[in-house]
Amino acid sequence: MFRMKLIAITVFVVWQGCAHAQMHHQHTSEAACDEPALRCASKVTPTFGPDGTLWLAWMAGGKISVASSRDAGKSFLTPVAATPERLNLDWGPDARPKIAIDRKGGIALAFSIFRDKAFNGQVLYTRSDDGGKSFATPRPITASKESQRFETIGFDNNGVLFAAWLDKRNRVPAQQAGKKYEGAALFFASSTDGGGTYSEARMAIDNTCECCRVELAFDPSNHPVVVFRNIFESGIRDHAVITFADAAKPGAPRRISVDDWQIAACPHHGPSLAISAGGTYHVTWFTNGKARKGLFYAHSRDGGKSFSAPLAIGQAKRNPSRPFVLAGPHGTVLVWKEFDGEKTTVNLMTSGDDGETWTKPRSVAETSDTSDHPLLVTDGRRTYLSWMTKADGYRFIPIEDES
Amino acid sequence: MRREFLVVALLLVLLMPAPAQDSGTQLKPFGRGSWQELMKAHAGRPTIVHFWGVTCGPCKVELPQLGAFMKDHPGIDIVTISADFVPDLPAATRAMLERSGLALAENWIFDGFADRLRFEIDPTWQGDIPRTLLITREGEMTTIEGSAEIADLAQWTARQLAAKK
Repeated sequence: MFRMKLIAITVFVVWQGCAHAQMHHQHTSEAACDEPALRCASKVTPTFGPDGTLWLAWMAGGKISVASSRDAGKSFLTPVAATPERLNLDWGPDARPKIAIDRKGGIALAFSIFRDKAFNGQVLYTRSDDGGKSFATPRPITASKESQRFETIGFDNNGVLFAAWLDKRNRVPAQQAGKKYEGAALFFASSTDGGGTYSEARMAIDNTCECCRVELAFDPSNHPVVVFRNIFESGIRDHAVITFADAAKPGAPRRISVDDWQIAACPHHGPSLAISAGGTYHVTWFTNGKARKGLFYAHSRDGGKSFSAPLAIGQAKRNPSRPFVLAGPHGTVLVWKEFDGEKTTVNLMTSGDDGETWTKPRSVAETSDTSDHPLLVTDGRRTYLSWMTKADGYRFIPIEDES
Repeated sequence: MRREFLVVALLLVLLMPAPAQDSGTQLKPFGRGSWQELMKAHAGRPTIVHFWGVTCGPCKVELPQLGAFMKDHPGIDIVTISADFVPDLPAATRAMLERSGLALAENWIFDGFADRLRFEIDPTWQGDIPRTLLITREGEMTTIEGSAEIADLAQWTARQLAAKK
């Protein structure tokens, strides 16, 4: 009898070991550890609340956690897990949890999970009404059972929460009709109760690229503006912008640049958008097109109808990637990553004339292992770099005023 | 005692994760220096290296086509490298290779700092997948970005095999 117990225990231990090894491998390759703690995060998203509190939402140990800082990232209050259960979170390179704070301090979160073994996604959302002490049970943003990923959320000046994401619900009907279906569709919804409930999902445009982040900003007239990698005729995956007339009326898509990147693949590399107080659209993106290759920046001073000639960014031989632009209180700031074969640096340049001219790029941070995309965030007084690294932990660095 | 040992052994085998014992699909960890190792091992042999990933939509379509191609063209070396952005999933990767008829190909999976691994292969590669490299006997490399046309692979293969002495 004793021997049989021993056999059973041995078998159980071995089986558990295998299961743990499989799960462990999923998370350790890009994160430093496999707990919900910030130091174990693979993706960290910052935002400032209206009272100047810094909020982070991060993905670690299969959970989305949230914490706040009253001293600009020097110290954080005890984190709260917004998703109590361990989830199969979307770890695609351009996926990350999204966080937005309303005027009363309510917190809206949105994130994606993989809902099945085929890596079909689902966008979930939750909200905290008690200053981040607790979060509602996450709910799907749409009832559709088809894949959704790459959500983005933001509050407009009236407190309406706007959401957009990539949605594959048109794929099956198209295929059933014998038609070829490319990419996904850009869907959107809005919430008038701060992210407690969302309006019915509607489509802004069909056949966009399906694997790149979508970025949202609001123009000075409070219109949502969304940039995304589109699929133009002949499978050209170049970027487009849509300016909404209001939270329910998408405008026509406008092409940002003719890069001519014809590729039937997942670039996993989406654009970034910022809109200055004067209404200039600042866009930065990656392409490997026939017309140009690398990172580029362009601006539009007519609400996205036309864009300046693309400006090349970074050192081509150092594989510049993951650009991010912010219209800050002291000018426009652009960051991106470069890799020299050993270490990754975050490089930065700024513009004091709304994107017309730029300072010489300089390196502001570096790391020697995997890192998240560099992000910029402002409290209206200063601009900060937010960067999660596997080897050096979370970095929150004030950007000096150069303009 | 011997009988009990056999019982333990049998139970262990039965409870091992299915992909590890059923398939025998080898998935080699692709780390620092693996690219040089791979190039050396295939030197002088026409080789198709295919980069893909389990979360990549176009890859799901192309992978079974590559499996069928391998079956029809036994004279060419087929190497697959799962280069999905980290973290990668060995079990899902094995399952997809098996379903695609590529269990017997030379299969690798990225293991480690993906930016550095990609940099060793091609410093200008940002990580888009699928991606296929056609490497001649002389080591000349052609890169196909995105899904490859199987007819193009067949033509290239025919040329390579015709050039064989």
